[in-house]
Amino acid sequence: MKFGLFYEISVPRPWTNETEKTVYDRCIEQVKLADELGFSNVWAVEHHFLEEYSHCPAPELFLTACAMVTKNIRVGHGIIVCVPEFNHPIKIAERTAVLDILSGGRLEVGTGRSATWTELGGFRVNPDETKKTWDEIVHCLPKMWTQERYSYQGRSWSMPARTILPKPYQKPHPPMWVAVTSPGTEIDAAERGMGSLGLTFGGFKEQEEKVKNYRRIIRNCEPVGEVVNEKVATVNFLFCHEDDAEGVKIGRRLTGSFNYLAAQLVAAREAFPSKSYPSLGLLPSLRQEAAGPGDESGAPEGVAIGNPARITRALKHWESVGVDQVNFLLNALETVPQEQVLKSLRLFAREVMPQFKTSGDQAAAAGGR
Amino acid sequence: MPPRFGCLDLNNWAKSLPTIEGYGTEPLTLKGAQIVEAHMEIEDDPADALLPKTMHPAVPAYAIFNVTSYPESPFGPFAIAEIRIAGRAGVRPRGHVLRSYINNEAAAKELAARWGYPVAPGEVSIALRHDRVIGRASVGGKIVLEIEEVDRDSISGGDIQYIASMHLCRNKGDGKPVLVQVDPEYVFARAERGRPRVVTLDAAAFRADNHLRVTWPIAATYAVADVTLPRLRYVCNPELPALQGTTKIAA
Repeated sequence: MKFGLFYEISVPRPWTNETEKTVYDRCIEQVKLADELGFSNVWAVEHHFLEEYSHCPAPELFLTACAMVTKNIRVGHGIIVCVPEFNHPIKIAERTAVLDILSGGRLEVGTGRSATWTELGGFRVNPDETKKTWDEIVHCLPKMWTQERYSYQGRSWSMPARTILPKPYQKPHPPMWVAVTSPGTEIDAAERGMGSLGLTFGGFKEQEEKVKNYRRIIRNCEPVGEVVNEKVATVNFLFCHEDDAEGVKIGRRLTGSFNYLAAQLVAAREAFPSKSYPSLGLLPSLRQEAAGPGDESGAPEGVAIGNPARITRALKHWESVGVDQVNFLLNALETVPQEQVLKSLRLFAREVMPQFKTSGDQAAAAGGR
Repeated sequence: MPPRFGCLDLNNWAKSLPTIEGYGTEPLTLKGAQIVEAHMEIEDDPADALLPKTMHPAVPAYAIFNVTSYPESPFGPFAIAEIRIAGRAGVRPRGHVLRSYINNEAAAKELAARWGYPVAPGEVSIALRHDRVIGRASVGGKIVLEIEEVDRDSISGGDIQYIASMHLCRNKGDGKPVLVQVDPEYVFARAERGRPRVVTLDAAAFRADNHLRVTWPIAATYAVADVTLPRLRYVCNPELPALQGTTKIAA
């Protein structure tokens, strides 16, 4: 199992130039440390207008900054909104190729379509269309990356023949993922040979079922790209502390802040009824699962907060249901002081990562002890 | 800086609150209701004055314009037209009802006494056309609200998520203002979605004065459903954030 970081970049009011910069600087400091400690990935969302919850509208810039100060950690879009009103497909192909080059071939490309009216409405997008345009764009991207000249006549966008430059550093192209929030999207990922980038918690049982489905369907996939990326990643919170009660207490503060913020956003389905959005999407799922009753400690099932032993147990469980990678949210609203975030990362790398073969080897090699 | 909260002037609003008799009302199922609802984005800063301190403004701010016609009830047929400002009570999406115009005096009395509806007398109607559904409320012959769902398209009732209402009323027991959560249940027989239009809006008639300014359309729906007005489950102190001032009164 591999471990990564997952960034929403939550900035509390008041939004001065200093607060925004401080939060970004802290995130980059965390990524730098995570690289040294052997974490495998850093992912950054693309969100717009999500007050306090996420100030990360230009993940390609943040990820470039991360790539410039790290050596090994892979940088991932979690996700790029594949809706032309947000991102023109040509720009997606170009930007990702440049980031892949600058990072020396460390790019992962997560794709998705946005789940809030806050964002869809802001870009004047018809929610009925997003799944269709996402599908169209993910089929185009690999060809735009690999064909010398590319032309396209499609439903949501078209272009005459041009040479899209540069091409990505990785050959044939960077691994592709799908954000999995709504039920059944893991099937979309599997059918297209793309990684399942889970952005909701769900219980172990639900996740196990999804993973089984995913693995079964991907065997007969029609890959959108030239390689199949059979991987299942999920998102979690992380706060690791020697004292279990303290770890759970601070971790609960983190999950509580995040979920409270998430709940303030207007899910697409709430404002604009559409079968394209059968569930409330990422945010309510995170809220429900992470605010669940949990055990007697107060730690919700499967959430990586507490002492190393508790976190190891939770992650072993995720591993047993077939998850390949767990990506951690480290902060929300700067609820956890930076020193504690860094300490938590170090403790996790020292005590938890060695319990998991792949990442443990990396941690030891990177001096995580 | 604390998160954004509503800043409704409770003293001003307290002059015209309905009185709720208590919190023990039994559910009431009303069959075959016709519901037309328009969602519109609104200017957010002014709208904060239309939400009690219990609630956070939605991001983006939006208003729910709702006209519902009940063909049968223990009080006879009635129709109700209201405007709700969307927000959050803690982590739950809720709509604060500014005023409910209702065309049946007996129904108005019951709805105010049992669920705290901020009722006012008015003429309310829904009209179906092939190209649109029209919901209208008038007072003394003057239209105070007219909304439309245009370009009607069938959808599943399961696609519609009506958010629960918050009614600011006065508790008969202690005479204090209270926010009552009313979370009806719906069993859909038919549903459709179209584009919303607010044809006429007299904001002052809904106690919104110059705080309610419609900006962008979101969506409109029309549905036929059995609606159950529920037992009351939560009440809030309108002077406190929901997380501090909510009382559970039933399972």
